[in-house]
Amino acid sequence: MPAGLEVRGLCKRFGGIVVADAMELDLAPGRIVGLIGPNGAGKTSFFNLVTGVVRPDGGRVSLDGRALTGLHIHQRARLGLSRTWQNLRLFPSLSVLDNLLIGARVYPGESLPALIAGPGRLRRAEAADRTQALDILERMGLAGVAHTDVASVPFGQQKLVGVARALMNEPRCLLLDEPMAGVEGHAYEAIQDVVRRLAARGIAVCVVEHNVAFIRDLCDEGVFMFAGKVLARGSVEDLIADPRLTELYFGT
Amino acid sequence: MEYLYTLAILMALYVILAASFNFVIGYGGLISIAHPVFYAIGAYASALLARDAGWPIPLAIVAGALVALLASILVAVPSVRISGDYLLIASIGFQLGVLEAIKNIGWTGGAGGLTNIPALLAPGSNHAIYVALTIAVAIATVVLLRWISRGPYGRAMSAMRDDELAFAALGRNALAMKVAIFALGSGLAGLAGGLYAHYFRFLAPGQFDILQSAALLTMVVVGGLRSTWGPILGAIVLEALPQAITFLDLPPSLLGPLQGILFTGLVLIFMFARPQGLIPAGDIWRGRKAMATDARRA
Ligand SMILES: Nc1ncnc2c1ncn2[C@@H]1O[C@H](COP(=O)(O)OP(=O)(O)OP(=O)(O)O)[C@@H](O)[C@H]1O
Ligand SMILES: [Mg+2]
Repeated sequence: MPAGLEVRGLCKRFGGIVVADAMELDLAPGRIVGLIGPNGAGKTSFFNLVTGVVRPDGGRVSLDGRALTGLHIHQRARLGLSRTWQNLRLFPSLSVLDNLLIGARVYPGESLPALIAGPGRLRRAEAADRTQALDILERMGLAGVAHTDVASVPFGQQKLVGVARALMNEPRCLLLDEPMAGVEGHAYEAIQDVVRRLAARGIAVCVVEHNVAFIRDLCDEGVFMFAGKVLARGSVEDLIADPRLTELYFGT
Repeated sequence: MEYLYTLAILMALYVILAASFNFVIGYGGLISIAHPVFYAIGAYASALLARDAGWPIPLAIVAGALVALLASILVAVPSVRISGDYLLIASIGFQLGVLEAIKNIGWTGGAGGLTNIPALLAPGSNHAIYVALTIAVAIATVVLLRWISRGPYGRAMSAMRDDELAFAALGRNALAMKVAIFALGSGLAGLAGGLYAHYFRFLAPGQFDILQSAALLTMVVVGGLRSTWGPILGAIVLEALPQAITFLDLPPSLLGPLQGILFTGLVLIFMFARPQGLIPAGDIWRGRKAMATDARRA
């Protein structure tokens, strides 16, 4: 059974714009893949297609051998597919901790009948999630703001909350969309550290990032994407040294 | 005295309606104004089950609530899939359709109304018992909805309102939640309907029309969307004030318009002076005690 994420022949166009052109990409368990490419290459669209946010025109996606085609967004997440968003998409009316609690793979309080039938069982499940969430926050240096409204913590910390929330799923595959954009200093180490730990536990990770140094430090390999296609795959060093790709990237 | 009982019962029923409507539109963020149709379905179903099928009245009231709940699921399942606004259209269509059907079917009493509904209270018993019953149901409703909205389910409702896409991408089933919220709110409206039917013993389709929708919306919005006390206060004030002026002994030709002016005037005053409602809810979701425990630990 193939493990990790498998993408075959993924196609999508918006009118005249082709965002996925028979896209093929495998993400193996335990490996950190950097997805790079110029603005508009289709990187975010790739995440949207894989997670079910955008419906593809064709192609297949599977996670740990399970076909994801046709599944709803939330069903894919429950199979262990987790992501962050380029534009964050936190829940502004919740505290940092509550933002994380929503992200548990199974959310104890989601079913109204279950809630009314067995409040005690739910309370225990919720307590376990709290411990996990506080743990993740601690590891990412966010313990101090756990009870702060997420909308009132600094942007750099909000980016970390986005990553922390995606970890609550205990994902099999994690997709990070520009975790470093607009962030500096401490977040760099914090994100590198949690991502490496995840990979060490056999989780497939894909990071979209324009910060090449960050990708080079973190990723086992790089994938160069352009106009909805994977043009090259290899070590990040080799990709950034390739003059043909550099030209496409900077659009000279 | 009997008049005061009637007023108290109506207030209690409107507290149930306003609180459950607040749950649907405030907490659930579901755009619908068809709440009175589920009130009607509960009332008619319960009345007919008791009157024509001979069911015991308490059972008929519970069954009426369940019929309203099931009907609301039928309306919600196809509509919430498409988009938020579609529920508004579908539910108004449903409201108009059901009321039209009631007007035209023989066994519902038609436009003239359904009469001879059996009373829950035995003849000659003290009407204060019914006041106590409806107030007890109103309190239970408010307590239940407050408990739900301040626990894990309430946290999820807040997150869903904030960002439905991010919510779904975390594995949360937003559609199922919307249907459940709509169903619970509508079921409670149906319960209020049954309680109405077996006290007032007469139902007419005009009691549940779009004007009722406007009145309920006003109670919730004037009271304060998403607050516990707001809709209660809204229901009591807006039910009591127009009734209170009937004590002024005015001729009926003056009374009707005066009540309308009072109602509209209150709405206008609040829209400008206090758009967030009498009792505004905070923007940030606050759960119950668990949060405090964590705060101490941290
Ligand atoms: N829902 C949509 N409807 C129409 N066009 C879209 C949609 N989503 C993306 N696009 C277009 O598809 C192209 C690829 O966008 P995408 O966001 O995937 O690029 P990206 O590689 O993530 O770029 P960036 O590095 O700037 O984030 C862009 O031209 C974008 O405008
Ligand atoms: Mg992007």
